[in-house]
Amino acid sequence: MDSNDEAYILLLLSDGNLPTGAFVASAGLESFVTHGFMTPSGVTPGRKKDKLEYTIEFIRDNLTSYARTASPFVSDAHVLVQEEVALAAASGFEGSMADTMLRLQALDGLYEATTLNHVTRRASKTQGVALLSLYSKGFTKPSVVRRTEDARENDIDIRLGSLVDEFKVAIRREETHGHLPICWGVLTAALGLSIERSQFLHLFLCARGILSAGVRMNIIGPYAAQQLLLHAVKPLVTEEAKRCGTLRTGLKRRSENKDIDSDPFDGDILTYNGPASTWPLGEILGARHDLQHSRVFNS
Amino acid sequence: MSVVEKVGAGKGRIHVRSDGHEAVFSELSYSYPLKLLSPRLARPNLAVVYVLTYGGGLVDGDSVDLEVNVNDRTSLALLTQGTTKVFKARPGQRYARPTGQEQLRLETSQRVTVVVGSGSTIFLLPDPVTCFRSASYNQIQTFRLASDASAVLLDWITSGRKSLGEDWVFSKYLSINELFICGKRVARDAVLLEEEDESIKALPFRSLADRLNPYSCYATLILYGPQTTSTIEHLSVCFNAITVFKHTSRPSTVWSLTILDGGKGCVLRIAARTAEDARTWLGEALLPLCELIGEDMYNRTFGR
Repeated sequence: MDSNDEAYILLLLSDGNLPTGAFVASAGLESFVTHGFMTPSGVTPGRKKDKLEYTIEFIRDNLTSYARTASPFVSDAHVLVQEEVALAAASGFEGSMADTMLRLQALDGLYEATTLNHVTRRASKTQGVALLSLYSKGFTKPSVVRRTEDARENDIDIRLGSLVDEFKVAIRREETHGHLPICWGVLTAALGLSIERSQFLHLFLCARGILSAGVRMNIIGPYAAQQLLLHAVKPLVTEEAKRCGTLRTGLKRRSENKDIDSDPFDGDILTYNGPASTWPLGEILGARHDLQHSRVFNS
Repeated sequence: MSVVEKVGAGKGRIHVRSDGHEAVFSELSYSYPLKLLSPRLARPNLAVVYVLTYGGGLVDGDSVDLEVNVNDRTSLALLTQGTTKVFKARPGQRYARPTGQEQLRLETSQRVTVVVGSGSTIFLLPDPVTCFRSASYNQIQTFRLASDASAVLLDWITSGRKSLGEDWVFSKYLSINELFICGKRVARDAVLLEEEDESIKALPFRSLADRLNPYSCYATLILYGPQTTSTIEHLSVCFNAITVFKHTSRPSTVWSLTILDGGKGCVLRIAARTAEDARTWLGEALLPLCELIGEDMYNRTFGR
């Protein structure tokens, strides 16, 4: 895919009107505010901070933790789908799809086990499934567009379409969960976006989602949100994408792990290079979301 | 009764089984700097082991590796005496993120692997870990349970030596607790606390303390299995009874509860201003556990 094609996909995916479920998620911001965390901590006396500063601090702590937790899953799901595309292009290995499905489900299962917070789990599943629907309903080729002469390209389109559909069926049958980072990896790989772009855009959209929630909660104004997006979120997302882009879950390569029943994750990689939460306070406040007397968001 | 055989440095092995009404050690071995002590207890089918280190702490490059087996419907409680102190990695120097095996060896690490057989229970109720200034620590704990085995796992950390003004100034703390039931990974609790190596130039410096304040103690408690059912129900009722109205300042303690596996387990997290606050809170919230380990040990663990 050349850079113009990639830029076009980025434009499509960063549309705030996409039905991805993000508009009902505040990623814990609402609970953070309700619990009085936009007030001085009382530990280090200093000048009074304004809401803009608290908001960017929240985004920073939240995004750092989310990047460290989710990036390995985005990368590994992306790699799996890319491999599937490569196999389809080589027009062989008809049996590879079942194997890819099992590995995607292994990733999904690990994310569920890693996400020990029912509110985050719920939000992640809602958004994940929405992304898969977006692909099958919104990004597959409509019949009005003429099929290309290239048989290989057609093969790939068909293979990707059925991979996404099968994953959706597995979620409906409750065989897997459909968590956001895995679905994001699947979607962006299916659209041909590079792994780096995919990571960057994912973190950007998460940060923007939090800012949108802040605007809707009337903590910050819409202009201030744009200001933060341009000047504060950019260095933050750049840094986290760089820091977490190389992380992996340790999901074993196909050749190393023929038997999917044994632990499909390499223990050392998972331990030292794998997902981890870096903000325990955010976990606690996020999991208390449903306890709020009144709330606007789902998470 | 107890067999002590040669094991590698920092290694320990505990195998507990039942001999009628009494829990017995088919193996209890350890080597420097690890030390395992087992006091006699009057309770049937419950064994207690104090996990200690010489000098009361772990220093630069120490590595402890404990392997535990609990079988025959017995219970084992692993306790400590006082906080696990982790001393600084090297004077005035912080380690960067580990990039290879060599750097990992310089960090202090503790690995605990527990296998719990049918009908048996593991209680891991240590005092909190305290990482001193510039300390670097990895704690990796794995629990493999049979379908009807139970586990009570407490993992907590304080912000440092308050008396020396330490407040989240260690360089790295990685704690991973993995729970497998019949080989299936049900929970993977991974917490990584570390000071940022490079701060983002465009934004003001944000320290680890900025992220974790105003709390000086964070605890995670994982419960699983039939022995913990009444405690989980109790906690669940308490949690769901909470209604949060808008706070005007940050609460002094704050906790959350997530139910696992349709009510078979749960994860509880708490943040408190001091370790003592957290201890008192846990002591009150976990009262249904008291009958499992006995009042004596319960009170000792939760300082009542």
